[in-house]
Amino acid sequence: MQTKRLAALVATAATASLLLAACGGSTSTSSSASQPIAIGVPVPLSGPYASAGQDIVNGAKLAAAKINKAGGVLGRKIEIVPADDQCDPQVGAQAAQKLVSQNVVGIAGGYCSGASLPESTVFHSQGDLPFVMDASTNPQLTEQGFNDIFRTIGRDDEQGPFAANFIANYLHAKKVVVMDDNTTYAAGLAANTISALKSQYGITADHEVITAGQSDYSSVLTKIGQMHPDVLYYTGYFTEAGLLLKQARAQGLKFTMMGGDATNDPTVLSTAGAAANGFIITTSPLAQFLGTASNYVSQYQAAYNKAPGPYSVYEYDAVSVLASAIKSAGSTNAKKIDAALHQVKDYKGLTGTFSFNKIGDRVPAAYITIIVKNGQFTAYQELNSSGQWVPVP
Amino acid sequence: MQYLINGLTIGSFYALVALGYTMIYGIIRLINFAHGDLFMVGAFMGWTVLGVFSATHAPVAVVLMISLLVAMAVVGLLAVGMDRIAYQPLLRASRLSILITALGVSLALENGALILFGAGFDTYPTNLLPTTTFLLGGATVSWVQVGMFTLSLLLMLLLYLFVQHTAVGTAMRALSFDQDAARLMGVNVEGVIMITFLLGGVLAAASGVMMGLYYTQINFLMGFLMGLRAFTAAVLGGIGNIPGAMVGGLLIGVLQSFAAGYISSQWQDVIVFAVLILVLVVKPTGIFGERVVERM
Repeated sequence: MQTKRLAALVATAATASLLLAACGGSTSTSSSASQPIAIGVPVPLSGPYASAGQDIVNGAKLAAAKINKAGGVLGRKIEIVPADDQCDPQVGAQAAQKLVSQNVVGIAGGYCSGASLPESTVFHSQGDLPFVMDASTNPQLTEQGFNDIFRTIGRDDEQGPFAANFIANYLHAKKVVVMDDNTTYAAGLAANTISALKSQYGITADHEVITAGQSDYSSVLTKIGQMHPDVLYYTGYFTEAGLLLKQARAQGLKFTMMGGDATNDPTVLSTAGAAANGFIITTSPLAQFLGTASNYVSQYQAAYNKAPGPYSVYEYDAVSVLASAIKSAGSTNAKKIDAALHQVKDYKGLTGTFSFNKIGDRVPAAYITIIVKNGQFTAYQELNSSGQWVPVP
Repeated sequence: MQYLINGLTIGSFYALVALGYTMIYGIIRLINFAHGDLFMVGAFMGWTVLGVFSATHAPVAVVLMISLLVAMAVVGLLAVGMDRIAYQPLLRASRLSILITALGVSLALENGALILFGAGFDTYPTNLLPTTTFLLGGATVSWVQVGMFTLSLLLMLLLYLFVQHTAVGTAMRALSFDQDAARLMGVNVEGVIMITFLLGGVLAAASGVMMGLYYTQINFLMGFLMGLRAFTAAVLGGIGNIPGAMVGGLLIGVLQSFAAGYISSQWQDVIVFAVLILVLVVKPTGIFGERVVERM
């Protein structure tokens, strides 16, 4: 109740400042050559996801600092303009309007897909302002038919086929059980994985569903144990993953256990203890698992005195690829930048080498597997450009 | 067989909590909604004490014993305080007022724990208990399971003996039969009610610590689901009846386990509650009936 009222209050304040900004901004639309190029970063900066949003802004600032140190773009400096979208669709639309009124040339950011969606409509309606997303993984975002949407992160529906590939081609599993907790996200990933296993590798996986929030899953595990699977892939969240691991090993069940990216959390390690060893997770690569980003991690640590969070390195790449597109477009015209982004080929980012496909999705998809070794998450296997499984460098 | 073992383990946790529901209902006809939260506080107390002692190099068994005892003592006193502050003044008021108060106490405990311990999950250390197992009729049983089950049974037995063979126990039984008559006979009614709350709290705390050790994850909301299940167990066995609560708890655990194993984990609660409704339709007083006086 209270948070709702607060949200309403902030929304009113945002609208008011929007009006003010709109009035003040209308006179200075001509971009002079000495002014910095503004890049908008819409992320949650208040509420429960505020720390994730702050990480992303920090990543953007590091990228801008690097570019500016090398002389900027088109002789102008890059300026990062954050806007708080509170992970809320309505506030997000207002934050986007605010960024437009602040004359941003492009947008690199976003955290919650729910907020990024209305933001993308606003940017699209304002002369196709380029929007490079760093963390919003909902497939719908790039399926809207807009030509100004890009992302440096993978899509939700790419993880299923990725996991299926790993299970079939790396683990060589014959008998697979896929388990979810009946949430929209986990059920979607489970369905994607099962259909990819069936259609691409001819493996018919069994499907189990549990209810989250219980402490005891030993009986469903006993049942799965009697099917003698090679692999159990759990697509739900970390809380249950830890319990499943502990209870499966306590019963002496030896099959390989895997989890989706929602299980990538240290709680799994503290819950399961030694039973977590050997647990494999399919996930977007975090900065600490990327050999290419090791400098970035220490740089971030030095600047902000904390770990870089899961998405800030994707934001770094989003800002950098946007800047390089502005450079190759030779202009701050939105349509020209969009065209330049579509031309990007094998861009060497911190998160790997990537291009954008027709609708703006990153290719190849950014997923790796990590494994728990001696009670620690360590990088494991990734797909190389010719589709072979190789250890993550 | 494995399903039976799994079910008995979880069932013994339910039974310990169900005993508290049933005793308090038997004596003051109150469904104490805050009882599940006492279980949660017990789990957090055990966790805190373990955290304090983890720095020292005391033997594991001693540390476990201390944390169990401290949690039982603290939660026992908390239950007494709850009774003195929230319930005693309302004993003569309508049933509804005291029921609503119980809901209030439950919310107060949950949110208190939220402030003190945060919203996330806390985890018990995983390296305290041995992980050795043995095979029994094709099922894997761990010594920890055996230990937990034995300890639960022992606590239940102690409670049973206490109620049956001590003066206070006799007073408790008298109270549940007729409060006013008991008072006229010189029974210290308030004192006996306090002792009942103390015992309920102690058992809930024991269950909380054991569950924390066994499953390792604890959270400020864990008492809610536990309370619901334990309450169901108490009703299934016949609320107000001590052996009923024990049997009800074990039965719910086993039912849940078989439902998850042979049908689907998604359906386990549906099945457990369907059985509850069925039992209540056929025998409204639960399996053992609500004959507190004779049976207790």
